[in-house]
Amino acid sequence: MHALLYRQLVRSLVMFAIVTVLAGIAYPLMVTGAANVAFSHQAQGSLLYHNGRLLGSSLLGQNFTDAKGKPLPQYFQPRPSATSPTPYDGDASGASNLGPTNPLLVGFVAGVTTYRQDGSVAPRNPYATRTDPYCVPTDPQGSPISVVNPPPGQRYARNAHGGYVCDPNTIPERAIAYRQFNGLSPHAMVPVDAVTASGSGLDPEISVANALDQAPRVARVRRRNLASIVALVHRYTEGRQFGFLGEEGVNVLELNMSLGGEQ
Amino acid sequence: MNAWDWAQLAFIGVATAVLAPLGGKYLAAVFGPGKAPGDRLMEPIERAGYRLLRVDPDNEQRWTSYALSVLAFGLVSVVGLYVILRLQGVLPFNPTRAPGMSPALAFNTAASFITGTDWQAYAGETQASYLAQMAGLVVAQFTAAAVGLAVALAVIRGVAGDRHTVGNFWADLTKSLTRVFLPLSVIGALVLVSQGAVQNLHGFLTAHPVAGGTQQIPAGPIASMEVIKLLGTNGGSFLNAGGAHPFENPSGFTNMFDLLLVIVLPFSIALMFGRLIGRPNQGRVLVVVMAIIFVAHTAVGMQAESHGNHLIAAGVSQQTSTANVGGNMEGKEVRFGPAGSALMTVGTMGTTAGATDSALDSYTPVGGASALVAIILGEISPGGDGGGLYGILMMVILAVFVAGLMVGRTPEFLGKKIGPTQMKLAVLYALTIPFVILTFSGFSLVLAGPSSDALNPGLHGFTEIVYAFASVTNNNGSAFGGLNATGIWYQTTLGVAMLLGRFLPIVLALALAGSLAGARVHARTRATLETAGPTFAAFLLGVIVTVGGLIYFPMLMLGPIGERLIS
Repeated sequence: MHALLYRQLVRSLVMFAIVTVLAGIAYPLMVTGAANVAFSHQAQGSLLYHNGRLLGSSLLGQNFTDAKGKPLPQYFQPRPSATSPTPYDGDASGASNLGPTNPLLVGFVAGVTTYRQDGSVAPRNPYATRTDPYCVPTDPQGSPISVVNPPPGQRYARNAHGGYVCDPNTIPERAIAYRQFNGLSPHAMVPVDAVTASGSGLDPEISVANALDQAPRVARVRRRNLASIVALVHRYTEGRQFGFLGEEGVNVLELNMSLGGEQ
Repeated sequence: MNAWDWAQLAFIGVATAVLAPLGGKYLAAVFGPGKAPGDRLMEPIERAGYRLLRVDPDNEQRWTSYALSVLAFGLVSVVGLYVILRLQGVLPFNPTRAPGMSPALAFNTAASFITGTDWQAYAGETQASYLAQMAGLVVAQFTAAAVGLAVALAVIRGVAGDRHTVGNFWADLTKSLTRVFLPLSVIGALVLVSQGAVQNLHGFLTAHPVAGGTQQIPAGPIASMEVIKLLGTNGGSFLNAGGAHPFENPSGFTNMFDLLLVIVLPFSIALMFGRLIGRPNQGRVLVVVMAIIFVAHTAVGMQAESHGNHLIAAGVSQQTSTANVGGNMEGKEVRFGPAGSALMTVGTMGTTAGATDSALDSYTPVGGASALVAIILGEISPGGDGGGLYGILMMVILAVFVAGLMVGRTPEFLGKKIGPTQMKLAVLYALTIPFVILTFSGFSLVLAGPSSDALNPGLHGFTEIVYAFASVTNNNGSAFGGLNATGIWYQTTLGVAMLLGRFLPIVLALALAGSLAGARVHARTRATLETAGPTFAAFLLGVIVTVGGLIYFPMLMLGPIGERLIS
């Protein structure tokens, strides 16, 4: 038995070494070589250059914000991103992982139990503000609070008028901000992709509806004719692949580059 | 679900129906007696391997020796990968400067990849070196797939063959690699790169976006890992976001190509089984049962996700149309859409791949449940490479026995009597995985620390924890990603659950096959229970659903069903 086991262990070691050389070294190097000969642009990451400067990848979304993180109105804005510490962090792809019933995602809507600060169940959202009936309050540092059974003595951030400061990353709060930023009416329907974070946090695309909602604002800020901006949106819309695989979307980086004005 | 979504599902159905029979034919030629395509090219390489291994490929092993080889190779592989992961910080080819993994994380990751689970408690971008991914994790993905296929071959020989031996493990392992996984991976990787998947050897680049600031552009041998992650029903990705990342899964086409890479081979293996035993209809019956379960859980998931989340406030449009992608888009990419995401993600849940292109934790309760149900039915829709076949064969043995009792006939499968020994092994097989899942989940829920590691409150948090153990014990590896599984408790218990969930079923399946190896084959009479017809297919389906449903129903009630009912 011992001799048998020993022989099997030695064979296992030899096999492990053979597979490491074949599948761990020869195979990836061969694929890398062939890929870079046949599909060099893709293999390198579909990189976009402007005057020799690497702007990014046409497959990765990126921020169009100022130094303080505020969205720049002259650009189409990508979807929210859950990467940490900053949105669209290429080093840290990932999703929010917030569940479909989590108030930190959906806010305090009907069907989500709301708790008062003392932990008792409230019939209506006690944190509602005039602009946001779905408000989920934050702590004084601006971080969202664990709103189900908050720890005793939890302090809540207040604004200058004494109202609660709402977590800006809930879907209702994002929808309010989206309507304001794009000058839409308070009852306008917001495309769902504009208020949800993607799985990778690096989604390069937005829906056509989302782009068309943003087009009037971009045209206004750039003093351009709306029709010309809308035409660009349609030009950078990628249809379903082969006519039926996947969904239509607009590549935000390529669209923004086509608007002109890169430094 | 709209017409476009049905069209994608139909495409998967048609493509599988075309490709799987070709795959089954090829596999039966390779692993059956006689000549096979590729012999002239591959036989010299294989013979060189046998010489290095000092193995005579025609020297067949009994099941005990075969199982010992599987376990010895598993042990050596886990230790080897563990050493690479611990030392990756000082080993060469580490442009992202990933530090060596901690002992608990290295154990968890090594167990995870060697068992084909590919649960990832680390972020690929910053915590794994290129060398560790390329020469450590990818190698594990190849061997995990090849071992699964080898065990399936041994089980087939035992159940159907007339010898007391079940084949030679080293020969099965070698041929699985040279004839199936290596050549298909080279082709698949190039298809992925042509669509935009990344494949290079340099470190991350720094981009300077238009609006200022910087952005890191990931790089590395990504596509070569992506393809064996899928083809080998493994599921572990180079980058943290996995199949959601545009550098791994860049387009609507690659999303469907990825799904085909996962499911075609397990279907082919079931058809190979039918050919190897000389009863093609027996293989087709298994394929039909697998396909019915696949379509059921996948369509439910697609419907739930494209319908959207009813808790999302009024004023947000989840209506799906060509201009508005719609549906439950949290954790999903625009290019796949809600139904396409669910098709890929829930579609791979009936295999050990558990490869995702979207964040399962943010799925609706029904969508999340469709993934969980695919896992707890034992991952036989169509199952992992090899694992799907021996998994469903164990269910066939149970079904034959139950049917035999009902109609008062001696239970037989392929002319061999199913006696008390076989029944004990099959029942043990059916109970092992639920026992591991429910025991570890129970402890995690009552211990103060582990129970508070769930990100989401309430019943969704409960689902996060039980999903983790259901996933790793079935070697699936997908996650409700909110669970913080980086502590010692989860890294250790999940690692142990993976090893138990992989090697106990393998040993039990081999033991059952060994107990039938060389048993007398009875002639078929009119009294023989027909196991290759539609009646038996329906009966088998019922047994699978009953076994999975009864054991796990309380868990589903407390998790996703409860979450849906009270919100």
